Amino acid sequence: MPIILENISFFYSRNTPLETAALQNVNLRIEKGEFVGILGEKGAGKSTLIKLFNGLLCPDSGKVTVDGLAPSSKEVKSRIGMVFQQAADQLFCRTVYEEIAFGPLNFGYSRKETEERVFEALEAVSFDRTMLSRDPFSLSGGEMQRVALAGALALRPDYLVLDEPITGLDPSGKKEILDTLKKMKDQGTAVITVTHNLKGFFPLLERIVLLREGRISFEGSREEYLETENVLLPPIASMIRELRSRGMPVNPAIFTVEEALKEILRVKSMIEKENSEK
Amino acid sequence: MIRLENVSYSYPDGTPALRNINMGIKKGEYIGIIGKNGSGKSTLALHLNGLLRPQKGKVMVRGMNTGDFSKLQVIRKIVGIVFQNPETQFVGRTVEEDLAFGPENLCLPPLEIRRRIDRALAEIELEKYRYHSPKALSGGQGQCVALAGVLAMEPECLVFDEVTSMLDPESGKNVLERVKRLHEKGKTVVHITHNLEELHAADRIIVIDRGRILLEGKPENVLSDPSLLDLGLTPPSLIELAEHLKKHGVVIPWDKTSSPSSFAEEICRLFLKT
Repeated sequence: MPIILENISFFYSRNTPLETAALQNVNLRIEKGEFVGILGEKGAGKSTLIKLFNGLLCPDSGKVTVDGLAPSSKEVKSRIGMVFQQAADQLFCRTVYEEIAFGPLNFGYSRKETEERVFEALEAVSFDRTMLSRDPFSLSGGEMQRVALAGALALRPDYLVLDEPITGLDPSGKKEILDTLKKMKDQGTAVITVTHNLKGFFPLLERIVLLREGRISFEGSREEYLETENVLLPPIASMIRELRSRGMPVNPAIFTVEEALKEILRVKSMIEKENSEK
Repeated sequence: MIRLENVSYSYPDGTPALRNINMGIKKGEYIGIIGKNGSGKSTLALHLNGLLRPQKGKVMVRGMNTGDFSKLQVIRKIVGIVFQNPETQFVGRTVEEDLAFGPENLCLPPLEIRRRIDRALAEIELEKYRYHSPKALSGGQGQCVALAGVLAMEPECLVFDEVTSMLDPESGKNVLERVKRLHEKGKTVVHITHNLEELHAADRIIVIDRGRILLEGKPENVLSDPSLLDLGLTPPSLIELAEHLKKHGVVIPWDKTSSPSSFAEEICRLFLKT
């Protein structure tokens, strides 16, 4: 069963002079096991959109269902793990253990079951057990982000919903988070992430949803995205597109340095061969 | 204009954050500082206007020691810092009030405060959010408010600590454009980041690792230095690609690696001329 959004509209400061439409007539369906990227410029409605999934926000019109249930139900909240952009905002316990255990305990799991889930989540984010007694607020930004992620994973969610999970992290921190997300996806969890870091996420995304001023302006595969959209392209992808527009016969679906290198060298030897034949 | 001499600093729990840092920042320079999370970059930023004071060594701003309390107010008028998380630096209920906070604290006359707010809002293109609450804005918009707030102080030297890491690329580019423009107008800029793509235009780049200066030099030398990878820092992808291509005999000059279009243009020029 999927997350289904039907005809959603959402306004901030409704019925005041500052009323702003954050989302308008949004229709979206997300299946279990998918890896979906939600892209868009600032203020496009990305963060608003994901807060509808577990009832943190309720739409002004339209309907959200998760596995056929209302998003505000307790049942749904335990199936959706949320990680926000700034991990420090969602941490509040004295130790990492308490932090990760908070969700499972809150949903009424036994101490033993909770402990099992804490260890499992800890391993998923590649921390060892010495971490458990640390004060979460003494950790680095990247470590805090992983603790927040572990807290969400301890619910064993069907849907993992993340808001810019790798912003502010250095490259090795980014890689750790991306590896964990890939693993979760492979195990059948749907991963839905708001991001503008296409360079990091592009290799993982199966589907891209682009929001523009509160409406979905593109939905499709990353290959389609590379063909049609101009925004948020990582440098390599835009360079490849520039080459194509100048008439170079390069393959459009290229987004890593290695792929670009291979492709450019391939085209180079092709051109050299043609020239020597002449 | 700013000089750090043998600066060392440890966190309260004893972990050293900066070890014997020596560096100078000239007036009008654009300096990039890069390093991993936890390398001491932000601690260094906080030293530049006396928010932190060195435990050993000293920091001089235009000849004034940041350890001298009587000089702190003057020093902070000269050096303004924009931080990574804008929410932590909001004080006003509206964007306008938030921007007024700094100039008010400098005891400027109301008309001057208005002028500065108008200018900062125009500079960052925030006029339409003037009466919005900064807390109700998106992360990217919030960062722009924080930037405008520091601009309203009209400091000579601007320190940016990971200011674009929470922004989408489009607004990140916007902010960087403004940083560049401010630098062209003569402001001294210290730009701290771990996104190396942002530092193409810097005059000089300093690489910090575990509280020490590891590398220092011009962007064309530092950004293509192989030791960056060992530090867990990824060079800008176009520069990385240019380095790989060089090994295969395709040489892309440095100034062509700054944008996808100049890079593509150069490739076409190289391949199609033969």
